[in-house]
Amino acid sequence: MKKERIFIWACKVITLLAVSFLFFIFLFIAKESFSFFQKTSLLAFLTGSRWNPIVDPPAFGLMPMICATVYVSLLATVIALPVGIGTAVFLSVSAPRNIQRTLLPFIDLMAGIPSVVYGFVGLMVIVKFFEVRFSWSSGESVLAGGILLAIIILPYIVSTCYESMIKILHHYEQTSRALGVSKWHMTRYLVIPSAKKAILAALILSFSRAMGETMAVMMVIGNSPIFPSLFHKAETIPALIALEMGGAAVGSLHYQSLFAAGFILMIVLFVFNSFFFIIRKHIGEGIKW
Amino acid sequence: MVNGEGRASHFALRLWLSASVFLVIASLCVILGYIFIQGGNELSLSFLTDMPQGFPLGVEGGIRPAIVGSFWFTAIACAFASFLALPTAIFLAFYAGSARTVSLCHFFIHSMAGIPSIILGLFGYAFFVITLGFGVSVLSGGLILGIMIFPFIEVRVEKTLSEFPEDIVQASISLGITKRWTLVHLVLPECIDDIAAAIVLGGSFAMGATAPILFTGAVLFAPSPHSFLSPAMALPYHLYILVGQGISISKAYGTSLVLVILLLILNIVPLIIKMYRKER
Repeated sequence: MKKERIFIWACKVITLLAVSFLFFIFLFIAKESFSFFQKTSLLAFLTGSRWNPIVDPPAFGLMPMICATVYVSLLATVIALPVGIGTAVFLSVSAPRNIQRTLLPFIDLMAGIPSVVYGFVGLMVIVKFFEVRFSWSSGESVLAGGILLAIIILPYIVSTCYESMIKILHHYEQTSRALGVSKWHMTRYLVIPSAKKAILAALILSFSRAMGETMAVMMVIGNSPIFPSLFHKAETIPALIALEMGGAAVGSLHYQSLFAAGFILMIVLFVFNSFFFIIRKHIGEGIKW
Repeated sequence: MVNGEGRASHFALRLWLSASVFLVIASLCVILGYIFIQGGNELSLSFLTDMPQGFPLGVEGGIRPAIVGSFWFTAIACAFASFLALPTAIFLAFYAGSARTVSLCHFFIHSMAGIPSIILGLFGYAFFVITLGFGVSVLSGGLILGIMIFPFIEVRVEKTLSEFPEDIVQASISLGITKRWTLVHLVLPECIDDIAAAIVLGGSFAMGATAPILFTGAVLFAPSPHSFLSPAMALPYHLYILVGQGISISKAYGTSLVLVILLLILNIVPLIIKMYRKER
């Protein structure tokens, strides 16, 4: 009995430790950011349009990076969403069992390819395509980043939608078939409308994944801290952190500003993820009727 | 229903679905095909076993220290993540009494999974490298990768455990056997292949990650690590450097091919274990 108690106790303590890492992460990022916000106002940081930390006086304006992050993520989501939903519908409704079974691992495989490999291929294929085909001086652009990101977030959209659609289908298929409803009619008037919540969840999940993506975007977007436009270079917040962290002295204002940028990103993504968590919880409940 | 409008819209629907699937498969094939074809020319035994050479470093020679380094990072990450994830999963699946505790913990774990990897890198730098004084090392990098894959492993292990038939656990407990004994001798042996699969998949996730080890463990050049506190090379970081600094595109193809093959192997291992178990 004593062993049993020790075992439970150990499990409890380790669970607490694991969960407390979330708070550790939050605290450490917040601590450095707050010493930055004591010296620079939050408003100036968020709305400033110039980023130049090494001149005197340094300029810390995150606005161009915020715009670029949102722009490239939105672009990726807009491209990926129709394709992802289409694939999910195909897999759940019209693909025969054996094709379903062979395609699903491929979707998982896509999610398993490291983002640095995506970035490399994106640079060699997408960026080069722009340079050769349209003879741009530089193919590194928001558009290249958006297309590449769209491929990266596709598996998240497909698996979130597929999971819910297959549930809907299992629930209604027999009745629908018995009533003589065609597969296509069922897809259009039953499966897609019932999967609305799942589609919303997929949208939020993929958008937040896109915003947090570092390596792949960084390798194809060109990284200049200017306001983004579709065919020109830009720089996202994760790329900013990844590129400048190595050159920032520990404890310097520059160092703290990067933590502050990370803090902003983390808070925004935390809110998105909470929405996703809540929506996904409710997905199962809608199917009961 | 078989009027003109219906037919046209069904055709449009069909077209949309086929185009989507085609795009997905095509992009995957292009990515893998590109790496396999271009990287295949570069791959040789000496590429796997030599040190990077030339100037700038990496133009010639092989990537042995990066392969070894990647395994160090992955092993530490798996060990740390399993140490956290298995007890957490057991606690949440069997011991946490109230549904509120479980739901709250799920929310926290979900939130951890949502933290972007670059933020984890920042945290790892501030916490492991500076505050705890581990320095830029395989230990710092491995631990932060472990935190990254902890939610991934925990969710899968907990799902496996909670899908274990409850009546068997109930029967065992009504025989006066403790829950712990039931777990260790009945539940865990039965689920061990799924748990192993979760850990291996988590490992493949860690092996491909660059952002968390960017400033916590990976360096431009180092020999294979000889202790937990030495920095190391890693395949994804090496690939990033080769491309980002424009050192050698052909070596970059080789490096990404090696990385992708290692990840494919790690992804196939769980399937083989499962098939083997089923046959028995």
